[in-house]
Amino acid sequence: MRSLICCLLAVLSVVGMGASGQVIRIGVVGPMTYIQGAHHWQGATLAAEEINAAGGITVGGTTYTIELVRVDSNEMQPGPDAVSAVERAITASKVDFLVGGFRTEAMLAMTETAADYKVIFMIAGASDDALLAGRVDKDYNRYKYLFRVTPVPSTSLARVAFILLGEVMEEFRRELGIAEPKVAIVAEQAAWANSIVTFVQLMANTPLALGGLGGKHVGTWRPSALATSVAAELTAVERSGAHIVFTVFSGPVGVVFGRDWGRLQIPVAAVGINVEAQAQSWLDATGGFGAYAATVGIYADGVAVTEKTLPFVDAFRARFGELPIYTAGTYDAIYVLADAIQRAGSLETDAVIQALESTDYVATIGRLVFDEVHDVTWGPGYTTAIGVQWQDGAPKAFWPREWRPDPVTAPDLVISAPGTVPYRIPPWVEAHWRARGS
Amino acid sequence: MHYLRSFLHYLRAEVFVLPTRIIAVAFVIALLILPLFTQDPYLLRMLILASVFAIYATSWDILAGYAGQISLGHALFFGTGAYTTALLGLHLGLPPSLTVPLGAVAATLAGLAVGIPCLRLRKHYLALATLAFPLMLTGLVFMFPGFSGGEGGIWRIARLAATRVGEYYLIVGTMLAVVLILWRIAGSRVGLIFHAIREDEVAARALGINTIRYKLLAFAISGFTAGVAGALYAHVTRIAGPSNLNLFMSFQPIIWTIFGGVATVYGPVTGVFILYPALDLLHVVLPQYRMLIFALLVLFILRFMPQGVTTWVRDRIERVCPSCRVRNVATRRTCRACGAELRD
Amino acid sequence: MVADILVNGLVHSGVYAMLSLGFGLVFGVGRVLNLAHTAFYMIAAYGIFYLVRMGLAMPVATALTAVGVMAVGLAIYKVFIEPVREVESTVLITTLAAAILLQEVAMVLFGSELRHVPPAFPGYTLIAGVRVGNQEMATLVLAGVCLAGVWLLLSHTRLGLAIRAAAQDREVANLMGINVNRVTAIVMGLGFLLAALAGAAIAPLSPVEPQMWMHPLVIVLAAVVLGGLGSLKGSLIGAVILAFAEVVVVFLVPGGSYLRTAVALLIMVCVFLVRPEGLFGASIAEER
Repeated sequence: MRSLICCLLAVLSVVGMGASGQVIRIGVVGPMTYIQGAHHWQGATLAAEEINAAGGITVGGTTYTIELVRVDSNEMQPGPDAVSAVERAITASKVDFLVGGFRTEAMLAMTETAADYKVIFMIAGASDDALLAGRVDKDYNRYKYLFRVTPVPSTSLARVAFILLGEVMEEFRRELGIAEPKVAIVAEQAAWANSIVTFVQLMANTPLALGGLGGKHVGTWRPSALATSVAAELTAVERSGAHIVFTVFSGPVGVVFGRDWGRLQIPVAAVGINVEAQAQSWLDATGGFGAYAATVGIYADGVAVTEKTLPFVDAFRARFGELPIYTAGTYDAIYVLADAIQRAGSLETDAVIQALESTDYVATIGRLVFDEVHDVTWGPGYTTAIGVQWQDGAPKAFWPREWRPDPVTAPDLVISAPGTVPYRIPPWVEAHWRARGS
Repeated sequence: MHYLRSFLHYLRAEVFVLPTRIIAVAFVIALLILPLFTQDPYLLRMLILASVFAIYATSWDILAGYAGQISLGHALFFGTGAYTTALLGLHLGLPPSLTVPLGAVAATLAGLAVGIPCLRLRKHYLALATLAFPLMLTGLVFMFPGFSGGEGGIWRIARLAATRVGEYYLIVGTMLAVVLILWRIAGSRVGLIFHAIREDEVAARALGINTIRYKLLAFAISGFTAGVAGALYAHVTRIAGPSNLNLFMSFQPIIWTIFGGVATVYGPVTGVFILYPALDLLHVVLPQYRMLIFALLVLFILRFMPQGVTTWVRDRIERVCPSCRVRNVATRRTCRACGAELRD
Repeated sequence: MVADILVNGLVHSGVYAMLSLGFGLVFGVGRVLNLAHTAFYMIAAYGIFYLVRMGLAMPVATALTAVGVMAVGLAIYKVFIEPVREVESTVLITTLAAAILLQEVAMVLFGSELRHVPPAFPGYTLIAGVRVGNQEMATLVLAGVCLAGVWLLLSHTRLGLAIRAAAQDREVANLMGINVNRVTAIVMGLGFLLAALAGAAIAPLSPVEPQMWMHPLVIVLAAVVLGGLGSLKGSLIGAVILAFAEVVVVFLVPGGSYLRTAVALLIMVCVFLVRPEGLFGASIAEER
């Protein structure tokens, strides 16, 4: 009897959802109670509303509207929750496509589920290369359903973060006359951060002439992504005599770090990846102590990466009252998907995959072209990401600014995104090292 | 023919006389024939997971409900089962038919490993000492991320069966077998001794019962069963991670068991089959408020049925004969066994 | 390094001690193993966060929050816990469900994001060459004042005498003419007050989030049994031991902060192997 009632309820709920026709149902996957997931949802909402308002997606004479399904993967704590959520979305809510995702550890499992059910999953939020490389190329038929829209993969993120670190080190040389700035690394304990840490550790000690950073690596610390105190790490960083701390954070620990770093005025400049510092709420969250933190970002105040960036940022601000963080790239993901469906002229999965593979689309984050493993192509002229620093109470972009991506073969290629400003060393750091040094 | 007749007689004499038994039999039959009517993957998955959790909850009931050894760290056994099967599959490539039993054996050993040092601890001390073990194991898991998968856990675990329906019958069958066995144990002499230890350990010892041996037996049985549940869970969700060991995983069987009715075996099963599908449906219908509604449901039901749902319902539809202690349906005037009058 | 450990250890000791004391009192007098105890600490932190963001000064926010938390706590106690008090296992799950309820209310209202309360005392002071945040020192003072206040209440007032009597033996205290039910309600209120103040103490130092009750709950449970159930002195000492154990692990094991809980609990289990009744617990042959 009990089970019968349960069955009835389950069947009713499924039938109830499947009733309305002519819709494309897209599951938006993310940790919905966190800002990362909230922006997944909001970015997707904006795209869906715009597309529906413009008349929806026309496929073979039929017009479809987009309906979003919220898939709370609770993936800050990776585990069965995430897989269950995706499976529930596919089997109970009958989604046709999936977008989003955040933690690599959870995404590895969630994308397996999507592959099991042969559902296209547009990754927008998880960066580990291994989500695609080693899967799409090795077992195309199983993993061809996976594409990444944002961010650029970890190795490319590392490249950007590495360029930003170089800019900051250059600033230390120029302003303070420190020839070999010392670099400490504080990175959260997570898979996606590993390759970045290894890369930067290596490059920090490599001389400038060999394409390195010409500094000195003085130590690496790996707190948990959910740590609520980094006092020990900060004390150790200060003891190490570092001038610059290279951060690699995607989780809430970024806020904890930024706040105690500013509050205790630890005399190191913080630069690297800190997803929380991409958010409008950063200064509030850190009690105002997060000023001067610098991070790889996607959106910033008044910076137009493409002609679609500012209209999107403004619309997002008007609608949700804050600057989007990179997980709002679900916006681009849905547009890319819609574009592919229209070009394919079909909702049939294999046709959509083929259309997606030939995507060349100008999105809010740059020009999107998928490479042979369905990953977003990084580089000048494609998607690069930007460098963001909190100055005067707002997130300002300081990179790409007079960037020479290829000084040897193309010395004339200089890239500057409109609206960028120079990087500034935090004043207490500058004061500390001036008093010490010269 | 003879067997059929005696079976029918048994049904009439022992099953159809009590509404709770009719419900139990109907429930089992419904579970077994369900895939003939629908093979909706979502529904099957929900019932598969409910079955896994029913095994888990019952294992807690045996240790805490019957033997009175309250464990607040039951996730240790569940997680040991899950990690053992996942690690054996990952590092040695063994098939689930081997790794699941080995996971259960490992959980049994974990049960003994916890039971032996905790033998001297009483009541709340025992409860809180057991709380510590899964959290300490989590520390160990994080210490060797290369081996254990660390924070992200181990994923891509083998499926139990090629099809969802196969998986369903495998797990529902296991659940029914485990629950039946535990029910027989609970009703046997061993179960009686567990009762005695719970009610008064000193008195039990005075009667010549080796309470140490029986307490360890309770830990072993419970650990084994929870290990089976954990191992099956890893294969169903195809991920084994630290969340299998966390505080909430330890608390869940307690919620289900007490909600359903403690020290009954069928209580925890009922609790799981009410609460788990409810929570899962809320996931689809009202995801933001699912845990809120869940908590309110538990609070209000326990407020009015502090002994659990099954006990409350049973006391409404059945009554115990005052002279011979046999249960009767509440509509009877006289006892079905001894004919004594049943008064209100 | 020693100075870092000392300062951070003391701050954590203060907060854990406030929580353990309240929990120990409630368990000793009310015989309620209140798994929701630290959930009240969590909602207090959210109360402070909300009121400070509304522009109230820290002391005002603290006072309002303390009153609010006590009211919510006593309401939950009266409605859900008191009617089922006789069934011990049901109390356990009722308090757990109450904790989940509070967590979910916080999540619905504020989301899971980490929230931060701006420190009432920004800046830092150099003590023995260590950067000690002024807020940390303020927290320490608050904890000290609260603990001293409770100690005065328990040792120098008639109410305190009644509470201690009820904690030692509920039945006999009842026979001696103490209104045990009233004392229980007062102690519950006192427990909620201490939890609220602990929340106020921690809010400016540590991120506020809906699941922030779980970790302290484990530590408080461990501290109370480590010290010996029913011994208030024991729970305070247990709290200090575990706080320092955690801080030592965080500072001495590089990147090993995830081990802090495991090590703290390992200490508890080791103590049990030697003294099954905890450090200061009465060794009663059999509790019936």
